Amino acid sequence: MSDVVASPSVRARARETGIDLERLARDLGRQTITREDLDGGKAAAGATSYWDVDHAQYGPVTEQPMSRFAQVAAANMAAAQALIPAVTHHDRADVSAVEAFRTSLKAEAQARATKLTALAFHVKALARCLRDFPTFNASLSADGKTLILKRFVHIGIAVDTAHGLMVPVVRDVDRKGLWQIAADIADLAARAQERKVRGEEMGGASMTISNLGAIGGTGFSPIINPPELAILGISRTETMPVWDGETFVPKPHVPLDLSYDHRVINGADAARFMTHYASLLADPRRILV
Amino acid sequence: MSDRHAELVVLGAGPGGYACAFRAADLGRTVVLVDPRPTLGGVCLNEGCIPSKALLHAAEVIRDAREIGDWGVALGEPRIDLAGLRDRKDGIVGQLTGGLTGLARRRKVRVVRGTARFTGPDSLDIDGVAWTFDQAVIAVGSAPIALPGWPEDERIWDSTAALELRAVPKRLTIVGGGIIGLEMATVYSALGSKTTVIELSDQIVPGADPEAVGILHAALVEEGIEIHTSTRVAGVKAVRAGLTLTCEGAFAGDIKADAIIRAVGRRANGGLLNAEAAGVAVDDRGEIRVDAQCRTGQPHIFAIGDVTGGPMLAHRATHQGHVAAEVASGHAAALDTVLIPAVAYTRPQLAWAGLTVAQAKEAGIAHKTTSFPWAASGRNLSSGGGDGLTKLVYCPDTRRVLGASLVGANAGELLAEAVLAMEMGATLDDIALTVHAHPTLSETIAFAAERALGTLTDL
Ligand SMILES: Cc1cc2nc3c(=O)[nH]c(=O)nc-3n(C[C@H](O)[C@H](O)[C@H](O)COP(=O)(O)OP(=O)(O)OC[C@H]3O[C@@H](n4cnc5c(N)ncnc54)[C@H](O)[C@@H]3O)c2cc1C
Repeated sequence: MSDVVASPSVRARARETGIDLERLARDLGRQTITREDLDGGKAAAGATSYWDVDHAQYGPVTEQPMSRFAQVAAANMAAAQALIPAVTHHDRADVSAVEAFRTSLKAEAQARATKLTALAFHVKALARCLRDFPTFNASLSADGKTLILKRFVHIGIAVDTAHGLMVPVVRDVDRKGLWQIAADIADLAARAQERKVRGEEMGGASMTISNLGAIGGTGFSPIINPPELAILGISRTETMPVWDGETFVPKPHVPLDLSYDHRVINGADAARFMTHYASLLADPRRILV
Repeated sequence: MSDRHAELVVLGAGPGGYACAFRAADLGRTVVLVDPRPTLGGVCLNEGCIPSKALLHAAEVIRDAREIGDWGVALGEPRIDLAGLRDRKDGIVGQLTGGLTGLARRRKVRVVRGTARFTGPDSLDIDGVAWTFDQAVIAVGSAPIALPGWPEDERIWDSTAALELRAVPKRLTIVGGGIIGLEMATVYSALGSKTTVIELSDQIVPGADPEAVGILHAALVEEGIEIHTSTRVAGVKAVRAGLTLTCEGAFAGDIKADAIIRAVGRRANGGLLNAEAAGVAVDDRGEIRVDAQCRTGQPHIFAIGDVTGGPMLAHRATHQGHVAAEVASGHAAALDTVLIPAVAYTRPQLAWAGLTVAQAKEAGIAHKTTSFPWAASGRNLSSGGGDGLTKLVYCPDTRRVLGASLVGANAGELLAEAVLAMEMGATLDDIALTVHAHPTLSETIAFAAERALGTLTDL
């Protein structure tokens, strides 16, 4: 018999909704799982399933099976959303200096055959921020009684692939230069497309970045990748007028969205974290000092 | 679509097969159910659970009639009309199997009478007729094991022959002291046979809790049944005057008998299906391995019931049948429990589920036991019950119930409470704090829990 106590109907429901009870019990730090736990703490809305609908009665439909991969990812998303009281903080950073620096390094990038992406700067700046705010570089213990502070800085990169979302991790980014980080991201992203990222190359991140900058959007609320405490969403850089005291000058700004676990991080901490982050990006020399 | 094509074909109409076919039909599937027998219900209804329980009921009443003499109520020695008893048993079987035919018709399950063999991954031969299918469920059950080197003789019966009630032999020897062997001993000794049971292991009902089995053993001996454990039958000789079993081990010597019942276990029927043609592996015991979803190695072929190995019990087959039907129809079902209750309908009954002490020890699981003797149960004594025991195995940390063994009248019915408690993760406290009616045998479960908690006032 399993150590997890759950009645047969709860076990059946967990199976139907793709929830791994052993894992849920570990995440909740307890042995007994009830019906309500499966609904993320909310009371079940009777026996109604919102998804048990005959859609064909409203018009023609075709069915496309969810891959195993997609089913697991869906269950993880649902569990993360249900289990973490998350808040999303919005900010933006002036990236004029980063863009100028990137332009100045174009020739060298060509020579090295490595594209020095804006994402590499984000990773580097985030690493510095995590060093400066150690409680963001942490995870809660399973019983919720201990905060485990990480003395390494690994950054997960959410990669959109043909078979679904994957999150390979760039290790020890605080000890790597921008070229190396850019090369690591390019390598992991390329292999993720071919599903050739090894299991040990995923997991263990301090925080994850989800970058939609190349696609578009002015902001979004990313879902935290447990057991991490926060995730940083990046949207498309926009040029906006900034008052310099005398006149409006056009400045490129990147929208930033930080979703964080409110059990550990408070709003004021998040605001301070993001202000610091934006200031590092606005003047990347400050990452060094 | 061709008349010889099945969307879902179920092979075998035992408790596994018919449950699967009916559940699938209820889920909207078009189902074909195949079995060579003239009636539905498989071994369980035709030659297993049901006819044996009918005869055991008669045995129970015969004994009650004798014992009521001690209560100052004399009914006299029962006179047994074997043909009448046989008819009654057959009538019950007929009523139930006939009922199944009606249930199949109402669900539009197409019943095909015949023996099926695979000819490919999606094709079958049913008595010479070629069929194709999209999905198949193998539910072909098991058959009694024959022992090598025994003579062919019509006085040597398997359980099926024994249930036909051909005669009441003067001297009957039953080889095999498992559930089926002991149930037959209970029936025939009540009908008047001088009955001997021979068991290879060092206890009857091997695997069950030795303390509970000890009580059953003593009661059977008290009834006049002779039991030899740790004894093997080395050979059987048949002459016109009778049968002779030569035994070795704890009992060494010859036993003379007028009939023998062979009850040494059952063998899965997986080997009779040409399952290799469908790419389904069958092991050397005739069993087909399945996962919790009842899937074989082939994604569109499932297997359920006795053909998937032990415990070979009807309720396991039925639950697997539902799981297979649901999984085959796209639902996320699974048989996610190890709690398959087992009941010997002997007198007294022996019933158990979950971990025994020996199993907990072997698996290194922390455990304690608590028990309540039925000699202290008012209900047991006032209804003429003999010795009995309710024994619970529990986790000393959480006080969750891990196993239950009961011996006594109606132990099989009582076991359900313990199984539900285990499935719900109930603790001894939950059981003790649940109000049980007085006087009932169910109180013995609450009393056993209270005893462990130190709150018992009835002992
Ligand atoms: C004397 C006796 C007493 C028992 N008492 C109990 C009891 O009290 N409680 C309990 O739980 N269990 C009891 N059992 C065990 C129980 O009968 C079985 O566990 C149960 O019947 C198994 O069900 P099943 O669906 O797997 O197969 P079965 O009931 O064995 O049915 C299989 C069916 O498949 C058919 N078949 C075989 N080969 C083919 C083929 N090639 N094509 C098509 N059909 C085929 C057979 O004709 C049969 O009808 C008893 C058994 C016996 C013998």
